[in-house]
Amino acid sequence: MSGSRTGKSLTKYKIVFLGEQGVGKTSLITRFMYDTFDDHYQATIGIDFLSKTMYLDDKTIRLQLWDTAGQERFRSLIPSYIRDSHVAIVVYDVTSKKSFEYIDKWVEDVKAERGEENVVLCIVGNKNDLSDERQVSTEEGERKAQVLNATIFIETSTKAGFNVKNLFRKIAKTLPEFQKSDTVSLDDKASKSKPDVIDITTNNEDQEQSSCQC
Amino acid sequence: MDDIISVGRSNGKNGVRMVYLSSKSPSVPNLNEAFYGDFRRRISPERPQSHLSPTPLAEEQTNASLIDLYGDDENGKDENEPDDAEQEDGRNSELPVSPTLSPSVTTPAQGSNEEAPKDFSQYDRYGFKKQNAHITQEQYHEWWDEYSRYCIRRKRKWQDLLAKSGLALSDNDIPDRFPPRSEKLKRYVRKGIPAEWRGQAWWQFARGQEKLNRNKGVYDKLLASLNDRNDKVFSRDLEVIERDLHRTFPENIHFQKQPNDNEEPLMIQSLRRVLLAFSDYNPKIGYCQSMNFLAGLLLLFLDEEKTFWMLVIITSRYLPGVHNINLEGVNIDQGVLMLCVKEYLPDFWQRIVTKEQSRNYEFLYKLPPITLCTASWFMSCFVGIVPIETTLRIWDCLFYEESHVLFKMSLSILKICDQEVAAARRVMRNRVTNKDDSDIEIFQAIQSVPKKLLDPQTIFERVIFKRRLSLNNLNQEEIDRCRRYVSSQRLKLKNYADIMGDKPITKDSTKRDISIGPDFVENALSSEVYGFRRSLTTAHWNNSIKEKVRQIRRK
Repeated sequence: MSGSRTGKSLTKYKIVFLGEQGVGKTSLITRFMYDTFDDHYQATIGIDFLSKTMYLDDKTIRLQLWDTAGQERFRSLIPSYIRDSHVAIVVYDVTSKKSFEYIDKWVEDVKAERGEENVVLCIVGNKNDLSDERQVSTEEGERKAQVLNATIFIETSTKAGFNVKNLFRKIAKTLPEFQKSDTVSLDDKASKSKPDVIDITTNNEDQEQSSCQC
Repeated sequence: MDDIISVGRSNGKNGVRMVYLSSKSPSVPNLNEAFYGDFRRRISPERPQSHLSPTPLAEEQTNASLIDLYGDDENGKDENEPDDAEQEDGRNSELPVSPTLSPSVTTPAQGSNEEAPKDFSQYDRYGFKKQNAHITQEQYHEWWDEYSRYCIRRKRKWQDLLAKSGLALSDNDIPDRFPPRSEKLKRYVRKGIPAEWRGQAWWQFARGQEKLNRNKGVYDKLLASLNDRNDKVFSRDLEVIERDLHRTFPENIHFQKQPNDNEEPLMIQSLRRVLLAFSDYNPKIGYCQSMNFLAGLLLLFLDEEKTFWMLVIITSRYLPGVHNINLEGVNIDQGVLMLCVKEYLPDFWQRIVTKEQSRNYEFLYKLPPITLCTASWFMSCFVGIVPIETTLRIWDCLFYEESHVLFKMSLSILKICDQEVAAARRVMRNRVTNKDDSDIEIFQAIQSVPKKLLDPQTIFERVIFKRRLSLNNLNQEEIDRCRRYVSSQRLKLKNYADIMGDKPITKDSTKRDISIGPDFVENALSSEVYGFRRSLTTAHWNNSIKEKVRQIRRK
């Protein structure tokens, strides 16, 4: 798997967020991009696009994030252009068994387009702060991820800001650029000179929040 | 002054005022009817009892129309703001305050409203937050200072027009009827219907009453039978609707739970009933995400039953098939839009497709990726895509001129996006050479440019009112014809794909398999290349000559 590279420009990776309506796809992206959280996001219709430059370990890559609508009928709309992503993040809500069952369908779509080997498949169980309402155990999630041959399984809470950076750190490690490095570390000087890069190595609160101009 | 209830609080520089204009006729929709709940005439088995007996204050407000007249009388305003002065005492006559608005303007904001713990100054006259990720409070006010005057000027023009047409305003300042269709009226509509008249105007222009008259009592019956439905399809819709209710305008004050109130907002309850009734009424559609925004916006201007029928009209007359389970209507409309882009925005077209795709009409079947962004423009009729006042101006035109407006507006926005991309490139002096970068640039523009179109005039002045622009020749007949064409072509291409497998139709595939290739498709379809009707009165039929003439003139 490799990103697309042309001439001198940055290597780009497409990341698509899939999953049932209301599981927290938009919220996951917002947490990652701006480190903020809202109780209610507007429902996403069609698709939203965001692009972010990530500077890591002396290398810069550009991520294209595609946020999709969750309702089943929208599945047919998501064109191959987007299904054809390097990374597919399939999200479910740990408080909704149904959303968990639906990840099979989304994974099916991804594999149909991209094949088994060519995609970094991430299964994300979101809303893990709502322990009282949990319907899907971590073990169930792990098991399913194994069955689906997912590269990454992780539980997150976008509300509490739990594990979101971790998710992206794990993803970064799967990209060819960073596979050789033991730790994905961030060059501080470089990050200061580039305000719109994302620091995914530290868990400090003062993450850059500038809007994306890349 | 009797019929004016002023609620709000004024505490010095943090003076905040909401003005409620009364509207006595229950048949007349108004801006906050749903908020304060004239729900008694809606029979709903699900409606919580507590709302049946509103407090005396709410009783009085039952028919009140919520208009934050200026929406800018708030803290942080400088002392020399003329608008504020006018609102304080109504003396400053520089600004043409319409007579119907002025009484409420002069109403002093008095008393404190315990039920209004929110800082209303952050919200516009429809209850939407002024500020968002794309627009700052300052930008909002700078624009609104100007635009609110424009709105008042336009309202006076409308009043004159009504007077000349022999139509009177009812007690509540809202016309019962609008003049018959004419070029003049169309022009007026395009320049914006007064906000507080919108519900009534849309209802008339979309011929809602005819629809309702043919279906008297249907909505109530639908509501009454909702509890009996428990089949799988319906319960699935129910679940999806339920999840979307609180994700519909979460930033709008009318859709938010009030801190002193544990009940669900009335607006959310209405939204639920409308969407459930609709999914029962039209099982081919059921519930499709984006309809929550359509119904939500309608509810701010019309009562529940009318909202329901407008939703029926939008999803059948203006956007046929768009919300259907298979979303084929979306694909057809996006195909039509792409044909229009090819015709009217040829430069932009070259940026979004390869020559190959353009030549063999494959794009009608495998739509260019930007269509997933533009699809939502149609599905939600621009709600949430462009800022609210711009959305409303588009809706004014939509209900008067029908669906080709959506295509025209989309083309306008794409044109503006294209201009922005070009301008950004000039500034950056970076020549985007590869397709990837150019794609990202365009996606980014398509995502962000519309959200910054705070001033409706941008679209109208830069595109719609420019008669010489060829895209303004687009009319409903053309779109209807185009829809039929795309629909049949998509069927053919689908059959072709079924026979040939899902191989991309490219030169490469020709090399691999001689029997498939662009010629094959082209031959199959060449007899049916779509031709736009071109008016000879404008010279757009030969853009290259026009461009040459321009170049000569420049020299």
